[in-house]
Amino acid sequence: MNNTEQPAEKASAMQVAKAVFWSFLGIRKKDDLDRDAKMIKPHQVVIGGLIGGVIFVLSILTLVKVVTS
Amino acid sequence: MAVVQDVHGHHDHHPSGIMRWVTTTNHKDIGTMYLWFSFAMFLVGGFLAMGIRAELFMPGIQILEPELFNSFTTLHGLIMVFGAIMPAFVGLANWQVPLMIGAPDMAFARMNNWSFWLLPVAGMLLVSSFFVPGGAAAGGWTFYPPLSAQGGMGVDMMIFAVHILGASSIMGAINIITTILNMRAPGMTLMKMPMFVWTWLITAYLLVLVMPVLAGTVTMLLTDRHFGTSFFNAAGGGDPVLFQHIFWFFGHPEVYIMILPAFGIVSEIIPTFSRKPLFGYSSMVYATASIAILSCIVWAHHMFTVGMPTVGQLFFMYATMLIAVPTGVKVFNWTATMWRGSMTFETPMLFAIGFIFLFVIGGFSGVICAIVPIDIQVQDTYYVIAHFHYVLVSGALFAIFGAVYYWLPKWCGRMYDVKLANMHFWLSMIFFNVAFFVQHFLGLAGMPRRIPDYSLQFADFNMISSIGAFGFGLTQLFFLYIVIKCIRGGEKAADRPWEGGNTLEWTLPSPAPYHTFETPPVIK
Ligand code: HEM
Ligand SMILES: [Cu+2]
Repeated sequence: MNNTEQPAEKASAMQVAKAVFWSFLGIRKKDDLDRDAKMIKPHQVVIGGLIGGVIFVLSILTLVKVVTS
Repeated sequence: MAVVQDVHGHHDHHPSGIMRWVTTTNHKDIGTMYLWFSFAMFLVGGFLAMGIRAELFMPGIQILEPELFNSFTTLHGLIMVFGAIMPAFVGLANWQVPLMIGAPDMAFARMNNWSFWLLPVAGMLLVSSFFVPGGAAAGGWTFYPPLSAQGGMGVDMMIFAVHILGASSIMGAINIITTILNMRAPGMTLMKMPMFVWTWLITAYLLVLVMPVLAGTVTMLLTDRHFGTSFFNAAGGGDPVLFQHIFWFFGHPEVYIMILPAFGIVSEIIPTFSRKPLFGYSSMVYATASIAILSCIVWAHHMFTVGMPTVGQLFFMYATMLIAVPTGVKVFNWTATMWRGSMTFETPMLFAIGFIFLFVIGGFSGVICAIVPIDIQVQDTYYVIAHFHYVLVSGALFAIFGAVYYWLPKWCGRMYDVKLANMHFWLSMIFFNVAFFVQHFLGLAGMPRRIPDYSLQFADFNMISSIGAFGFGLTQLFFLYIVIKCIRGGEKAADRPWEGGNTLEWTLPSPAPYHTFETPPVIK
């Protein structure tokens, strides 16, 4: 792997979302990861991770609300 | 990993004798001091543990008055968590992070010196609090009010010690983050970093996030005690439950602070002795990051019996059980790394495999504690004690032992006595299980924690547990002997004592010279 390849394109929001989703499970395919590592900027992961965290909390809350209603 | 490097001899002009250690800004010196400090505190904490187990050897009160017994359990917890485990990991980071990323030193060398020298002050405060009027803090390592609002001067000394330790940890964390982000050798991209470096990077962020929360809580406690505030005092309109929420918002990430670097160590050792790259390196990085995020939203699983709406109980129960998923992925990855590897079982590997075995037991008992109806039964019993000793002793501590046996040849240039080291492992493994496995049964049978006396039906298991604990304690003196023997003399270690070791530190001579990577290696 070298870093002088094509000027990295920017990652789409969808790609960041996917990376974050898989990280919550703790699994990632090698090819996808290499692509992530090249295209996604650190701040995108951080923002994506925070949004992912909020969604995670809200979905557990929704589940709990459904279970208890 | 192909490496071009340049190591040359140096003429150093640094003070000698004691001043060398007081004024040093060298990451290796500071790492060494961290490790020795942590071992000293481990012995102090261990002494307290021996006292606890001696008292619990038989029913009835024999050697420790109840108040002193409570001080023993409190200070045992505080000293082991903040004095032994955490500084040991920071010491390992000091030694290894620069060596593994090809940096000449830590980013803030003077601050590094200060973060270390704060520790002995805090350690002395904790130890000497036993001798002040009123004795040491006795409200448990979690120092819940109102107990912690009541104690004497010992509690204030503890608060001050926690402040200092927190400051030290924050500075250490900032240093580690900056070093990793800014000082990697050319070509060492983030996704090429060794797993130990990754786990420490994420741990350092967790530290920066939650240590200020701890500092805030103890400060509120301090003002409640001395300056007339009532944050946690119901009589003044405050709420003691608030304390528990803030404490555990720090406390649960804290337990991950103590286990993530251990994950990193195991992720270095297993591939080396399986002679295979780590299976699913990238998933490991991802899993570590998500464990760190999730660890911030599960804190109230420590508070199920405090009283909480059903919605809250279910939320924290589900969230806690979900966090076990990325943890399980890691265990899967380590196992898959060993699968069909050409494995050998040197001492570090023994500790790593012991870690996996016993950490899984601790993880499972954690998930059991996370189930609300069960936790209502086992909360504050020996079951919880068993759970967290499986994750902290056979988890964090075993990983630290593994790390020392893995890197000691690099640090001091000599090989330790492998026979003795293996014996240290087996004795630790056996005595640990004798001491703590039976505590599951005690807890399920209803024996509460933090009590100096118990009813007769618990007698047999307690005696077994105490015998195991004494054995475990003695075994650790044996560890000291092994390390000293290795430093004093012994077979010269090769530069790469483990043929499977592929990270940068093994490209250096053994012992690692005082200054390394002054010209950064180039990673291709
Ligand atoms: C699979 C992951 C884990 C789960 C699901 C889990 C769950 C729990 C739960 C529910 C409790 C509260 C029990 C009670 O007080 O009734 C607890 C206590 C505790 N856990 Fe874990 N845990 C996990 C991993 C860990 C790890 C990795 C560590 C540390 C390295 C740890 C350290 C502790 C400690 C120190 C306590 C007791 C605190 C106290 O009350 O003094 N746990 N755990
Ligand atoms: Cu917890």
